[in-house]
Amino acid sequence: MRQILHLRAVCVAAALCVAATFASVAGDSAVTEALVTNQTGNSLSVVSLADMKSVAEVAVSGSPAGIALSPDRRFAYVTAPESKELVVVDAAERRVVKRFKVGEGPLGVAAHPTNGRVYVADWYTHTISVVDPQAGQVTATIAVGESPSGLAVTPDGRLFLSADRDSDSISIIDAATNTRLKSVAVGKRPFGVTIDAKGERAYTANVASDDVSIVDIATGVVVGTVPVGHRPYAVALARGRAFITNQYSSTVSVFDLSSLKVVATIDVGDHPEGIEADPAGTNIYVACWFDNVLMRIDVDTLSVVGQAAVGDGPRAFGAFLR
Amino acid sequence: MLRAAVLSLAALALAPTIALAHGPTRQKVTETVEINAPADKVWATIGNFQDMSWHPAVAKLEGSGGNHANATRTLTLTSGGTIEEKLLSSDPAKMTYKYEITKVDPKVLPVNNYSSSISVKGDGGKSTVEWKGAFYRGFMNNDPPPDMNDEASKKAVEGVYRGGLDALKKKLEAGG
Repeated sequence: MRQILHLRAVCVAAALCVAATFASVAGDSAVTEALVTNQTGNSLSVVSLADMKSVAEVAVSGSPAGIALSPDRRFAYVTAPESKELVVVDAAERRVVKRFKVGEGPLGVAAHPTNGRVYVADWYTHTISVVDPQAGQVTATIAVGESPSGLAVTPDGRLFLSADRDSDSISIIDAATNTRLKSVAVGKRPFGVTIDAKGERAYTANVASDDVSIVDIATGVVVGTVPVGHRPYAVALARGRAFITNQYSSTVSVFDLSSLKVVATIDVGDHPEGIEADPAGTNIYVACWFDNVLMRIDVDTLSVVGQAAVGDGPRAFGAFLR
Repeated sequence: MLRAAVLSLAALALAPTIALAHGPTRQKVTETVEINAPADKVWATIGNFQDMSWHPAVAKLEGSGGNHANATRTLTLTSGGTIEEKLLSSDPAKMTYKYEITKVDPKVLPVNNYSSSISVKGDGGKSTVEWKGAFYRGFMNNDPPPDMNDEASKKAVEGVYRGGLDALKKKLEAGG
Protein backbone atom coordinates (compact mmCIF):
# COMPACT_ATOMS: atom_id res chain seq x y z
CA MET A 1 0.00 0.00 0.00
CA ARG A 2 2.73 2.41 0.92
CA GLN A 3 4.47 1.56 -2.33
CA ILE A 4 1.34 2.28 -4.32
CA LEU A 5 0.85 5.60 -2.57
CA HIS A 6 4.46 6.44 -3.26
CA LEU A 7 4.02 5.49 -6.90
CA ARG A 8 1.00 7.72 -7.13
CA ALA A 9 2.85 10.66 -5.67
CA VAL A 10 5.58 10.21 -8.22
CA CYS A 11 2.98 9.83 -10.95
CA VAL A 12 1.19 13.02 -10.03
CA ALA A 13 4.49 14.86 -10.01
CA ALA A 14 5.48 13.49 -13.37
CA ALA A 15 1.95 13.47 -14.75
CA LEU A 16 2.76 10.77 -17.21
CA CYS A 17 1.91 7.40 -15.85
CA VAL A 18 -1.83 7.20 -16.13
CA ALA A 19 -1.65 3.60 -17.29
CA ALA A 20 0.38 2.52 -14.30
CA THR A 21 -2.11 3.87 -11.81
CA PHE A 22 -5.19 2.87 -13.76
CA ALA A 23 -4.96 -0.78 -12.82
CA SER A 24 -5.02 -0.02 -9.13
CA VAL A 25 -7.73 2.63 -9.12
CA ALA A 26 -10.56 0.24 -8.30
CA GLY A 27 -8.56 -1.36 -5.54
CA ASP A 28 -7.49 1.89 -3.93
CA SER A 29 -10.55 4.10 -3.95
CA ALA A 30 -12.26 4.36 -0.61
CA VAL A 31 -15.09 2.02 0.17
CA THR A 32 -18.40 3.40 1.44
CA GLU A 33 -20.62 0.37 1.88
CA ALA A 34 -20.60 -3.21 3.04
CA LEU A 35 -22.85 -5.73 1.30
CA VAL A 36 -23.60 -8.48 3.77
CA THR A 37 -25.18 -11.78 2.71
CA ASN A 38 -27.72 -12.86 5.32
CA GLN A 39 -28.01 -16.58 4.78
CA THR A 40 -30.91 -17.51 7.06
CA GLY A 41 -32.50 -14.10 6.48
CA ASN A 42 -32.44 -14.51 2.69
CA SER A 43 -31.27 -10.98 2.02
CA LEU A 44 -28.36 -8.68 1.36
CA SER A 45 -27.87 -5.89 3.91
CA VAL A 46 -26.34 -2.67 2.66
CA VAL A 47 -24.39 -1.01 5.48
CA SER A 48 -23.21 2.59 5.23
CA LEU A 49 -19.66 2.55 6.59
CA ALA A 50 -19.64 6.26 7.42
CA ASP A 51 -22.11 5.78 10.26
CA MET A 52 -22.26 1.96 10.49
CA LYS A 53 -25.98 1.79 9.77
CA SER A 54 -27.96 -0.55 7.56
CA VAL A 55 -29.44 1.64 4.85
CA ALA A 56 -31.13 -1.01 2.70
CA GLU A 57 -31.97 -4.69 2.62
CA VAL A 58 -32.32 -6.41 -0.73
CA ALA A 59 -34.32 -9.67 -0.70
CA VAL A 60 -32.26 -12.57 -2.09
CA SER A 61 -33.83 -16.01 -1.79
CA GLY A 62 -31.83 -19.25 -1.84
CA SER A 63 -29.81 -18.77 1.37
CA PRO A 64 -27.16 -16.36 0.05
CA ALA A 65 -23.63 -17.01 1.31
CA GLY A 66 -20.71 -16.12 -0.96
CA ILE A 67 -20.17 -12.70 -2.47
CA ALA A 68 -17.84 -11.05 -4.97
CA LEU A 69 -17.92 -7.66 -6.63
CA SER A 70 -17.41 -6.62 -10.23
CA PRO A 71 -14.09 -4.75 -10.70
CA ASP A 72 -15.97 -1.43 -10.80
CA ARG A 73 -17.90 -2.52 -7.66
CA ARG A 74 -21.22 -1.79 -9.29
CA PHE A 75 -22.46 -5.38 -9.24
CA ALA A 76 -22.42 -7.98 -6.51
CA TYR A 77 -22.27 -11.66 -7.43
CA VAL A 78 -23.96 -13.65 -4.71
CA THR A 79 -24.14 -17.44 -4.45
CA ALA A 80 -27.45 -18.97 -3.42
CA PRO A 81 -26.61 -22.57 -2.54
CA GLU A 82 -30.15 -23.65 -1.67
CA SER A 83 -31.50 -22.61 -5.08
CA LYS A 84 -28.21 -23.53 -6.80
CA GLU A 85 -27.92 -20.15 -8.45
CA LEU A 86 -25.67 -17.17 -8.90
CA VAL A 87 -27.52 -13.94 -8.20
CA VAL A 88 -26.39 -10.66 -9.75
CA VAL A 89 -27.31 -7.62 -7.66
CA ASP A 90 -27.02 -4.07 -8.92
CA ALA A 91 -25.56 -2.61 -5.76
CA ALA A 92 -26.13 0.98 -6.82
CA GLU A 93 -29.80 0.43 -7.58
CA ARG A 94 -30.26 -2.09 -4.75
CA ARG A 95 -31.99 -4.70 -6.85
CA VAL A 96 -31.51 -8.20 -8.21
CA VAL A 97 -30.95 -7.93 -11.95
CA LYS A 98 -30.34 -11.57 -12.83
CA ARG A 99 -30.16 -15.04 -11.38
CA PHE A 100 -29.29 -18.33 -13.04
CA LYS A 101 -28.34 -21.93 -12.23
CA VAL A 102 -24.69 -22.70 -11.49
CA GLY A 103 -23.86 -26.27 -10.46
CA GLU A 104 -25.27 -28.13 -7.46
CA GLY A 105 -23.88 -26.24 -4.48
CA PRO A 106 -22.46 -22.84 -5.35
CA LEU A 107 -20.61 -21.36 -2.37
CA GLY A 108 -17.37 -19.40 -2.82
CA VAL A 109 -17.24 -16.81 -5.57
CA ALA A 110 -14.60 -14.45 -6.96
CA ALA A 111 -14.48 -12.00 -9.85
CA HIS A 112 -11.59 -11.72 -12.28
CA PRO A 113 -10.09 -8.20 -12.35
CA THR A 114 -10.13 -7.78 -16.15
CA ASN A 115 -11.63 -10.62 -18.20
CA GLY A 116 -15.23 -10.20 -17.03
CA ARG A 117 -15.45 -13.75 -15.70
CA VAL A 118 -16.75 -14.83 -12.31
CA TYR A 119 -15.58 -18.06 -10.69
CA VAL A 120 -17.96 -20.11 -8.57
CA ALA A 121 -16.82 -22.97 -6.32
CA ASP A 122 -19.21 -25.91 -6.13
CA TRP A 123 -19.36 -27.56 -2.73
CA TYR A 124 -21.01 -30.76 -4.03
CA THR A 125 -19.67 -31.35 -7.55
CA HIS A 126 -16.06 -30.50 -6.65
CA THR A 127 -15.63 -28.14 -9.55
CA ILE A 128 -15.11 -24.47 -10.29
CA SER A 129 -17.55 -22.98 -12.76
CA VAL A 130 -16.30 -20.19 -14.97
CA VAL A 131 -19.26 -17.88 -15.45
CA ASP A 132 -20.07 -15.11 -17.88
CA PRO A 133 -22.37 -13.07 -15.63
CA GLN A 134 -23.68 -10.86 -18.42
CA ALA A 135 -24.79 -13.81 -20.52
CA GLY A 136 -25.85 -15.73 -17.42
CA GLN A 137 -23.93 -18.78 -18.58
CA VAL A 138 -21.32 -21.21 -17.36
CA THR A 139 -18.57 -21.14 -19.99
CA ALA A 140 -16.23 -23.77 -18.51
CA THR A 141 -16.02 -26.19 -15.62
CA ILE A 142 -12.76 -27.13 -13.90
CA ALA A 143 -12.40 -30.22 -11.72
CA VAL A 144 -10.61 -29.46 -8.43
CA GLY A 145 -10.37 -31.15 -5.01
CA GLU A 146 -13.29 -32.10 -2.77
CA SER A 147 -15.78 -29.43 -1.71
CA PRO A 148 -14.04 -26.28 -2.89
CA SER A 149 -15.16 -23.33 -0.79
CA GLY A 150 -13.10 -20.12 -0.84
CA LEU A 151 -11.77 -18.62 -4.06
CA ALA A 152 -9.26 -15.85 -4.74
CA VAL A 153 -7.76 -14.34 -7.89
CA THR A 154 -4.23 -12.93 -8.05
CA PRO A 155 -4.22 -9.13 -8.53
CA ASP A 156 -2.66 -9.52 -12.00
CA GLY A 157 -5.46 -11.90 -12.99
CA ARG A 158 -3.07 -14.62 -14.09
CA LEU A 159 -4.08 -17.26 -11.54
CA PHE A 160 -6.92 -18.13 -9.25
CA LEU A 161 -6.98 -20.40 -6.23
CA SER A 162 -9.61 -22.57 -4.63
CA ALA A 163 -9.56 -23.87 -1.06
CA ASP A 164 -10.53 -27.52 -1.55
CA ARG A 165 -11.92 -28.08 1.90
CA ASP A 166 -12.35 -31.83 2.06
CA SER A 167 -9.08 -32.57 0.27
CA ASP A 168 -7.06 -30.50 2.75
CA SER A 169 -5.46 -28.66 -0.17
CA ILE A 170 -5.68 -25.69 -2.48
CA SER A 171 -5.79 -25.72 -6.28
CA ILE A 172 -3.83 -23.22 -8.35
CA ILE A 173 -5.53 -22.58 -11.69
CA ASP A 174 -4.36 -20.72 -14.79
CA ALA A 175 -7.01 -18.12 -15.59
CA ALA A 176 -6.06 -17.84 -19.27
CA THR A 177 -6.48 -21.54 -20.02
CA ASN A 178 -8.71 -22.62 -17.09
CA THR A 179 -6.19 -25.36 -16.37
CA ARG A 180 -5.50 -26.65 -12.89
CA LEU A 181 -1.73 -26.25 -12.59
CA LYS A 182 -1.20 -27.82 -9.21
CA SER A 183 -2.62 -28.83 -5.88
CA VAL A 184 -0.88 -27.86 -2.65
CA ALA A 185 -1.50 -29.70 0.63
CA VAL A 186 -2.32 -27.28 3.47
CA GLY A 187 -3.87 -27.67 6.96
CA LYS A 188 -7.09 -29.56 7.62
CA ARG A 189 -10.30 -28.34 6.00
CA PRO A 190 -9.21 -25.03 4.46
CA PHE A 191 -12.25 -22.79 3.97
CA GLY A 192 -11.36 -19.18 3.16
CA VAL A 193 -8.36 -18.29 1.00
CA THR A 194 -6.89 -14.80 0.64
CA ILE A 195 -4.07 -13.60 -1.62
CA ASP A 196 -1.77 -10.70 -0.69
CA ALA A 197 -1.61 -7.47 -2.70
CA LYS A 198 1.54 -8.54 -4.52
CA GLY A 199 0.02 -11.85 -5.53
CA GLU A 200 2.86 -13.74 -3.88
CA ARG A 201 1.34 -15.54 -0.94
CA ALA A 202 -1.99 -17.17 -0.18
CA TYR A 203 -3.41 -17.62 3.32
CA THR A 204 -5.91 -20.37 4.09
CA ALA A 205 -8.06 -20.59 7.22
CA ASN A 206 -8.07 -24.27 8.18
CA VAL A 207 -11.30 -25.07 10.01
CA ALA A 208 -10.31 -28.45 11.45
CA SER A 209 -6.65 -27.85 12.35
CA ASP A 210 -7.25 -24.42 13.90
CA ASP A 211 -4.45 -22.77 11.95
CA VAL A 212 -3.57 -20.72 8.89
CA SER A 213 -1.38 -22.10 6.10
CA ILE A 214 0.77 -19.67 4.14
CA VAL A 215 1.50 -20.77 0.59
CA ASP A 216 4.12 -19.29 -1.74
CA ILE A 217 2.04 -19.24 -4.92
CA ALA A 218 4.91 -19.34 -7.44
CA THR A 219 6.52 -22.44 -5.96
CA GLY A 220 3.43 -24.04 -4.45
CA VAL A 221 5.21 -24.52 -1.15
CA VAL A 222 3.75 -24.00 2.32
CA VAL A 223 6.13 -21.49 3.89
CA GLY A 224 4.43 -21.13 7.25
CA THR A 225 1.67 -22.37 9.53
CA VAL A 226 0.25 -20.20 12.30
CA PRO A 227 -2.00 -21.56 15.08
CA VAL A 228 -5.09 -19.38 15.58
CA GLY A 229 -8.43 -19.79 17.41
CA HIS A 230 -11.05 -22.50 17.12
CA ARG A 231 -12.65 -23.14 13.73
CA PRO A 232 -11.05 -20.36 11.68
CA TYR A 233 -13.17 -19.27 8.73
CA ALA A 234 -11.44 -16.62 6.62
CA VAL A 235 -8.45 -14.27 6.49
CA ALA A 236 -8.06 -10.53 5.81
CA LEU A 237 -4.74 -8.74 5.32
CA ALA A 238 -3.90 -5.18 6.35
CA ARG A 239 -0.69 -3.33 7.13
CA GLY A 240 1.55 -6.33 7.36
CA ARG A 241 -0.84 -8.33 9.49
CA ALA A 242 -3.34 -11.13 8.99
CA PHE A 243 -6.75 -11.05 10.68
CA ILE A 244 -8.60 -14.34 11.08
CA THR A 245 -12.19 -14.98 12.15
CA ASN A 246 -12.45 -17.85 14.64
CA GLN A 247 -16.04 -19.09 14.56
CA TYR A 248 -16.18 -21.12 17.77
CA SER A 249 -13.89 -18.82 19.78
CA SER A 250 -15.85 -15.68 18.84
CA THR A 251 -12.53 -13.91 18.28
CA VAL A 252 -10.34 -12.44 15.56
CA SER A 253 -6.69 -13.56 15.71
CA VAL A 254 -4.09 -11.10 14.47
CA PHE A 255 -0.62 -12.21 13.42
CA ASP A 256 2.41 -10.42 11.98
CA LEU A 257 3.11 -11.47 8.38
CA SER A 258 6.90 -11.34 8.87
CA SER A 259 7.41 -12.92 12.26
CA LEU A 260 4.26 -15.10 11.99
CA LYS A 261 3.66 -14.37 15.67
CA VAL A 262 0.15 -13.80 16.98
CA VAL A 263 0.09 -10.21 18.26
CA ALA A 264 -3.52 -9.94 19.42
CA THR A 265 -6.75 -11.87 19.88
CA ILE A 266 -9.79 -9.62 19.69
CA ASP A 267 -13.17 -10.53 21.17
CA VAL A 268 -15.94 -10.05 18.63
CA GLY A 269 -19.52 -11.30 18.25
CA ASP A 270 -20.62 -14.93 18.22
CA HIS A 271 -19.52 -16.97 15.18
CA PRO A 272 -17.50 -14.39 13.26
CA GLU A 273 -17.25 -15.37 9.60
CA GLY A 274 -16.74 -13.13 6.55
CA ILE A 275 -13.89 -10.66 7.05
CA GLU A 276 -12.38 -7.99 4.80
CA ALA A 277 -10.00 -5.07 5.14
CA ASP A 278 -10.78 -1.74 3.52
CA PRO A 279 -8.35 -0.84 0.72
CA ALA A 280 -6.43 1.63 2.91
CA GLY A 281 -5.92 -1.02 5.58
CA THR A 282 -7.49 1.24 8.20
CA ASN A 283 -10.41 -0.91 9.26
CA ILE A 284 -11.40 -4.56 9.20
CA TYR A 285 -15.04 -5.56 8.87
CA VAL A 286 -16.35 -8.80 10.35
CA ALA A 287 -19.77 -10.41 9.90
CA CYS A 288 -20.86 -12.12 13.13
CA TRP A 289 -23.21 -14.88 12.06
CA PHE A 290 -24.96 -15.65 15.32
CA ASP A 291 -25.32 -12.09 16.58
CA ASN A 292 -26.50 -10.57 13.28
CA VAL A 293 -24.02 -7.71 13.33
CA LEU A 294 -21.23 -6.35 11.17
CA MET A 295 -18.34 -5.20 13.37
CA ARG A 296 -15.57 -2.73 12.56
CA ILE A 297 -12.09 -3.28 13.96
CA ASP A 298 -9.58 -0.42 14.04
CA VAL A 299 -6.31 -1.75 12.66
CA ASP A 300 -4.20 0.63 14.78
CA THR A 301 -5.82 -0.01 18.13
CA LEU A 302 -6.85 -3.61 17.36
CA SER A 303 -10.21 -3.03 19.00
CA VAL A 304 -13.85 -3.10 17.95
CA VAL A 305 -14.87 0.49 17.23
CA GLY A 306 -18.32 0.09 15.71
CA GLN A 307 -21.07 -2.24 14.75
CA ALA A 308 -24.18 -2.32 12.58
CA ALA A 309 -27.24 -4.53 12.86
CA VAL A 310 -27.75 -6.63 9.73
CA GLY A 311 -30.14 -9.41 8.71
CA ASP A 312 -30.28 -12.94 10.10
CA GLY A 313 -27.24 -15.17 9.75
CA PRO A 314 -24.69 -12.88 8.05
CA ARG A 315 -21.88 -14.77 6.31
CA ALA A 316 -20.37 -12.26 3.86
CA PHE A 317 -18.06 -14.95 2.54
CA GLY A 318 -15.84 -13.17 0.03
CA ALA A 319 -15.32 -9.56 -1.04
CA PHE A 320 -18.14 -7.43 0.31
CA LEU A 321 -16.82 -3.85 0.65
CA ARG A 322 -17.64 -1.37 -2.10
CA MET B 1 -0.58 -62.39 -2.67
CA LEU B 2 0.82 -59.68 -4.88
CA ARG B 3 -2.04 -60.16 -7.28
CA ALA B 4 -4.57 -59.79 -4.49
CA ALA B 5 -2.89 -56.58 -3.35
CA VAL B 6 -2.93 -55.21 -6.87
CA LEU B 7 -6.59 -56.13 -7.25
CA SER B 8 -7.58 -54.49 -4.00
CA LEU B 9 -5.67 -51.36 -4.99
CA ALA B 10 -7.49 -51.36 -8.29
CA ALA B 11 -10.80 -51.73 -6.47
CA LEU B 12 -9.90 -48.78 -4.27
CA ALA B 13 -9.05 -46.69 -7.30
CA LEU B 14 -12.35 -47.55 -8.96
CA ALA B 15 -14.50 -46.97 -5.88
CA PRO B 16 -16.37 -43.71 -6.15
CA THR B 17 -15.06 -41.02 -3.89
CA ILE B 18 -17.46 -40.66 -1.02
CA ALA B 19 -17.72 -36.99 -0.27
CA LEU B 20 -19.53 -36.01 2.89
CA ALA B 21 -19.91 -32.29 2.76
CA HIS B 22 -22.33 -30.80 5.25
CA GLY B 23 -25.35 -28.76 4.20
CA PRO B 24 -24.74 -25.28 2.87
CA THR B 25 -26.79 -23.38 5.44
CA ARG B 26 -25.90 -23.39 9.11
CA GLN B 27 -28.90 -23.19 11.40
CA LYS B 28 -29.24 -21.39 14.71
CA VAL B 29 -31.50 -21.93 17.67
CA THR B 30 -31.85 -19.74 20.75
CA GLU B 31 -34.16 -20.74 23.59
CA THR B 32 -34.54 -18.91 26.90
CA VAL B 33 -36.38 -19.37 30.16
CA GLU B 34 -37.05 -17.00 33.02
CA ILE B 35 -36.66 -18.57 36.43
CA ASN B 36 -37.84 -17.19 39.72
CA ALA B 37 -34.51 -17.90 41.45
CA PRO B 38 -31.24 -15.97 41.85
CA ALA B 39 -28.59 -16.42 39.16
CA ASP B 40 -25.97 -18.03 41.40
CA LYS B 41 -28.44 -20.72 42.39
CA VAL B 42 -29.30 -21.40 38.76
CA TRP B 43 -25.62 -21.46 37.78
CA ALA B 44 -24.89 -23.85 40.65
CA THR B 45 -27.37 -26.24 39.05
CA ILE B 46 -26.31 -26.03 35.40
CA GLY B 47 -22.76 -24.59 35.44
CA ASN B 48 -20.95 -27.88 36.00
CA PHE B 49 -20.12 -29.40 32.61
CA GLN B 50 -19.99 -32.80 34.28
CA ASP B 51 -23.55 -32.68 35.59
CA MET B 52 -26.58 -32.80 33.29
CA SER B 53 -28.90 -34.36 35.85
CA TRP B 54 -31.15 -31.31 35.48
CA HIS B 55 -32.08 -32.36 31.94
CA PRO B 56 -34.84 -34.98 31.85
CA ALA B 57 -33.64 -36.49 28.54
CA VAL B 58 -30.20 -37.33 29.97
CA ALA B 59 -30.07 -40.66 31.80
CA LYS B 60 -26.32 -40.83 32.44
CA LEU B 61 -23.19 -38.72 32.11
CA GLU B 62 -19.64 -40.03 31.96
CA GLY B 63 -16.90 -37.44 31.60
CA SER B 64 -13.38 -36.36 32.32
CA GLY B 65 -11.44 -33.13 32.59
CA GLY B 66 -13.83 -31.38 34.95
CA ASN B 67 -14.61 -27.87 33.77
CA HIS B 68 -11.33 -27.22 32.00
CA ALA B 69 -11.21 -26.47 28.29
CA ASN B 70 -11.26 -29.71 26.26
CA ALA B 71 -13.00 -31.61 29.06
CA THR B 72 -15.25 -34.30 27.62
CA ARG B 73 -18.55 -35.93 28.50
CA THR B 74 -20.66 -38.67 27.02
CA LEU B 75 -24.39 -38.29 27.55
CA THR B 76 -26.56 -41.37 27.46
CA LEU B 77 -30.10 -40.35 26.72
CA THR B 78 -33.23 -41.83 28.20
CA SER B 79 -34.06 -42.86 24.63
CA GLY B 80 -30.85 -44.91 24.57
CA GLY B 81 -28.62 -42.97 22.17
CA THR B 82 -25.37 -41.27 23.14
CA ILE B 83 -23.89 -37.84 22.45
CA GLU B 84 -20.18 -37.10 22.91
CA GLU B 85 -19.32 -33.52 23.76
CA LYS B 86 -16.26 -31.37 24.43
CA LEU B 87 -16.04 -28.23 26.55
CA LEU B 88 -14.63 -25.30 24.58
CA SER B 89 -14.53 -22.79 27.41
CA SER B 90 -16.09 -22.15 30.79
CA ASP B 91 -16.38 -18.76 32.45
CA PRO B 92 -17.97 -19.07 35.90
CA ALA B 93 -17.61 -15.31 36.52
CA LYS B 94 -19.82 -14.64 33.51
CA MET B 95 -21.89 -17.75 34.24
CA THR B 96 -21.49 -19.27 30.79
CA TYR B 97 -19.89 -22.23 29.09
CA LYS B 98 -19.40 -23.23 25.46
CA TYR B 99 -19.19 -26.74 24.11
CA GLU B 100 -19.37 -28.74 20.91
CA ILE B 101 -20.65 -32.16 19.90
CA THR B 102 -17.78 -34.35 18.81
CA LYS B 103 -19.83 -37.42 17.93
CA VAL B 104 -23.51 -38.13 17.49
CA ASP B 105 -25.55 -40.45 15.31
CA PRO B 106 -27.90 -38.29 13.22
CA LYS B 107 -30.67 -40.69 14.22
CA VAL B 108 -30.16 -39.58 17.83
CA LEU B 109 -29.87 -35.88 17.01
CA PRO B 110 -29.91 -34.88 13.32
CA VAL B 111 -27.07 -32.35 13.41
CA ASN B 112 -23.51 -31.90 12.16
CA ASN B 113 -20.82 -29.46 13.31
CA TYR B 114 -22.85 -28.53 16.36
CA SER B 115 -21.59 -25.90 18.81
CA SER B 116 -23.49 -24.39 21.70
CA SER B 117 -23.38 -22.12 24.70
CA ILE B 118 -25.48 -21.89 27.83
CA SER B 119 -25.51 -18.86 30.08
CA VAL B 120 -27.31 -17.36 33.06
CA LYS B 121 -28.10 -13.69 33.58
CA GLY B 122 -29.43 -12.41 36.87
CA ASP B 123 -31.89 -9.65 37.65
CA GLY B 124 -32.36 -9.43 41.40
CA GLY B 125 -34.05 -12.62 42.58
CA LYS B 126 -34.82 -13.68 39.00
CA SER B 127 -32.72 -15.20 36.26
CA THR B 128 -32.78 -15.79 32.54
CA VAL B 129 -31.12 -18.85 31.10
CA GLU B 130 -30.17 -18.72 27.43
CA TRP B 131 -29.20 -21.81 25.44
CA LYS B 132 -27.85 -21.21 21.95
CA GLY B 133 -26.85 -23.70 19.28
CA ALA B 134 -25.27 -23.49 15.83
CA PHE B 135 -25.24 -26.53 13.58
CA TYR B 136 -25.75 -27.97 10.13
CA ARG B 137 -28.58 -30.35 9.33
CA GLY B 138 -28.22 -34.08 9.94
CA PHE B 139 -28.03 -35.03 6.30
CA MET B 140 -24.65 -34.70 4.66
CA ASN B 141 -24.66 -33.71 0.98
CA ASN B 142 -27.33 -32.08 -1.14
CA ASP B 143 -31.09 -32.52 -1.30
CA PRO B 144 -31.86 -33.94 2.17
CA PRO B 145 -34.82 -36.20 3.03
CA PRO B 146 -37.53 -34.44 5.08
CA ASP B 147 -36.54 -36.04 8.40
CA MET B 148 -32.98 -34.72 8.12
CA ASN B 149 -33.42 -31.34 6.47
CA ASP B 150 -32.75 -27.92 8.00
CA GLU B 151 -36.20 -27.64 9.54
CA ALA B 152 -36.09 -31.11 11.11
CA SER B 153 -32.68 -30.39 12.63
CA LYS B 154 -33.84 -27.10 14.08
CA LYS B 155 -36.96 -28.69 15.51
CA ALA B 156 -34.93 -31.44 17.18
CA VAL B 157 -32.54 -28.99 18.84
CA GLU B 158 -35.39 -26.72 19.91
CA GLY B 159 -36.96 -29.77 21.55
CA VAL B 160 -33.79 -30.59 23.49
CA TYR B 161 -33.40 -27.00 24.72
CA ARG B 162 -37.07 -26.48 25.55
CA GLY B 163 -37.29 -29.78 27.42
CA GLY B 164 -34.21 -28.95 29.48
CA LEU B 165 -35.06 -25.34 30.25
CA ASP B 166 -38.66 -26.00 31.21
CA ALA B 167 -37.62 -28.85 33.53
CA LEU B 168 -34.93 -26.62 35.06
CA LYS B 169 -37.48 -23.91 35.81
CA LYS B 170 -39.86 -26.39 37.36
CA LYS B 171 -37.14 -27.93 39.51
CA LEU B 172 -35.74 -24.63 40.79
CA GLU B 173 -39.06 -22.93 41.38
CA ALA B 174 -40.25 -25.95 43.31
CA GLY B 175 -37.33 -25.27 45.62
CA GLY B 176 -35.32 -28.27 44.41
